[in-house]
Amino acid sequence: MNLEKVVFGFFVVLAATLNFGFFIGDISDPDLHNPYELFAAVVVNLIATVLKFGDRTQIGAVHLATSLVAVLQLVAATLLYGYATHVSSAGMNESWTASVVSLSGGALLANIVSVVLLVVETVSFHRD
Amino acid sequence: MVNPVLALVKRLSGRDRGDRRRVRRATFRVAAASAAQASATVFLIMRRMRAPLIVLIVIFAVSVLGLTVIPGQDENGEPLRMSFFDAFYVMSYTATTIGFGEIPVPFTYNQRMWVTVSIYLTVIGWAYAIGSLLALLQDRAFRSALSLQHFSRKVARLREPFLLIAGHGRTGELVGRSFDKLGRRFVVLDLDQERIDRLELGSYVSDVPGLAADARDPGHLAVAGLGHACCEAVVALTNDEEANLTIVMAAALLRPDLPVIARVSSRTIAERMQAFGTPSTVNAFDRFGDHLRLALRAPAAYQLKSWLESGPGAELPERGAPPSSGRWVVFGYGRLGRELTSDLRAEGMDVTVVEVQPTDADGADLLVGDASDPWVLAQSDLDRAVGVVAGTDNDTTNLSLVAAARRSNPSLFVAARQNRPASAPLFAAMDIDALLVPTEVVAHEVYAQLSTPLLWRFLREMPGQGEAWAEEVVDRLTAVCGTRLQTLWKVRLTAQHAPALQGWLASGEATLGALLRNPEDREAPLHAVVLLAMRDREATLAPGEDHVLRPGDELLFAGRAAARRALSTTLLVPGVLEYVLTGRRVPASWVWRALAPGRPASPDAAGRGPA
Repeated sequence: MNLEKVVFGFFVVLAATLNFGFFIGDISDPDLHNPYELFAAVVVNLIATVLKFGDRTQIGAVHLATSLVAVLQLVAATLLYGYATHVSSAGMNESWTASVVSLSGGALLANIVSVVLLVVETVSFHRD
Repeated sequence: MVNPVLALVKRLSGRDRGDRRRVRRATFRVAAASAAQASATVFLIMRRMRAPLIVLIVIFAVSVLGLTVIPGQDENGEPLRMSFFDAFYVMSYTATTIGFGEIPVPFTYNQRMWVTVSIYLTVIGWAYAIGSLLALLQDRAFRSALSLQHFSRKVARLREPFLLIAGHGRTGELVGRSFDKLGRRFVVLDLDQERIDRLELGSYVSDVPGLAADARDPGHLAVAGLGHACCEAVVALTNDEEANLTIVMAAALLRPDLPVIARVSSRTIAERMQAFGTPSTVNAFDRFGDHLRLALRAPAAYQLKSWLESGPGAELPERGAPPSSGRWVVFGYGRLGRELTSDLRAEGMDVTVVEVQPTDADGADLLVGDASDPWVLAQSDLDRAVGVVAGTDNDTTNLSLVAAARRSNPSLFVAARQNRPASAPLFAAMDIDALLVPTEVVAHEVYAQLSTPLLWRFLREMPGQGEAWAEEVVDRLTAVCGTRLQTLWKVRLTAQHAPALQGWLASGEATLGALLRNPEDREAPLHAVVLLAMRDREATLAPGEDHVLRPGDELLFAGRAAARRALSTTLLVPGVLEYVLTGRRVPASWVWRALAPGRPASPDAAGRGPA
């Protein structure tokens, strides 16, 4: 068992699950989407991205790319959230919530690709 | 100074591509291996930044989360939770020690306790991250990887022909400087970082890419442009014979079509180099021997040769008057002594060799003893000698030998070897008749071979022309340029480079004298001398006024820059040519040509030649 692989897999899967947890639920209902979960998803995604730094393999490069996409989408979602709660006069209404959640949905797709890559990598690993 | 459009056309219509592509692929592979090494270092750096970055992210996340969870109070004492944005804002300015205070409302004691903890945490996190980043930036491997990438990008972007110079010592610097003066580009490889740094201080006209790397590594040579389509020659000038041999090998195997010039000081290495294609080897001692022979036989020819080899801006060297017969004394029987002794004996001189160790002087008169010993000097019988060579590898010995020899016989012809550049002022003060500075001999030779093929041809064929001819050429050159050598340039009388001339050249009446008139005032001659006219590999040295020109001839000019500009106008503008040839001012524009009475408006009006 390789501890580095454990940590790596843990963060990749956790990033996807947290993202999923925030995304699930009625897209326009602010009560079903907890900002703490979004915060956790951003932090874990950032850590997963940094963990993918410096891998020279082809699959490592794709891993890093998907993570960067996920982080980009999640950061956009938090910016929208911050704008809605602090700047917009309407507050966290249905349309703002829908925007934030749909952005996190995009990030979820990228995170699912990451998990698929992780599974592919694991399955194709042969011990000589 | 190559027209970029022409260069592009040349690149697009590249001939014998298949062969070249195969060879170039090999060099690309080598270059890729070297570039991969550099990128590997960058990946390692990113890997090493993982831990500090994750620590920073975690500390930030924990502090922000804590601030949003801990309950606060607003101005009216109502309970208030901080939003994520407020918490992130507070942590950002606190962690970076900017410290705007307690925003948006004063904190409760609970919050203050948490902020105190997070201040210490974040400061540690930042210090760790920034510290590791700075340490990595200072890392030698990282810096050299960065400079390698920077260098290879610069070389890959070169779109003009360039020289690849391996070794930027004294010789490399001299070669680089004279090529820079010609407006040519070059790329430098050297082991020593200090010498590469000197490139930046060197105030060259063009930007010179330089890399501190071992030129024995073919990967470094490939990165420096060995596989580049614009690389025109490789020059191996390192101090290490073995390294020069390796460079010659790499160039011959990876780019067999490139000319290679290497500096050597022993015959065995030179012969080993000849096994790889036909590299040109320059042995300073051998060349100095040849120069001395030429100087003995034809002082004016030697003067002309050394002047032209010194490059643009060089002062006319003095014409020596070496003795053509008599006895020479050679101090030091090393590599130089051996060459000179055999050269002098081939010229029919008697030679006495003075050497510390008893050696086989190959039939010459040998005197064993320390040259700095007055008794040995007395034995060598300098009073009745005509020339002396101070050729030991010690500058102090050489200088004192020259002084002692001059004292015993002031009329001696003195040849001396200068080993260290620092001794140059001392040798200059001694006013030596023939001074060997190995680095300069090599640099001049490389310059002569690479500046233009025509100059090299001229210098090779010139010694056979005789002393009187050489004197005349020197006189013609000084009449045009003065005592300082001006620019040398090449003109090809092809339809592309001299479009105005084609009709006139085809008439068979085109003489050099008629062409070389000033386009402003045709009574005045152009301030330029033709050193060489080349037609189908057949060269005419210093052709006279009545030399007949034909289409496709190549001419090597020496003269002032103004003459070069004037000549190019004559070559390009038909109206100017007409004036230069006949004295008639022809209207240049289409309208005036059409209006001019009795003159055809055809552009080949110049084709009729002088009446």
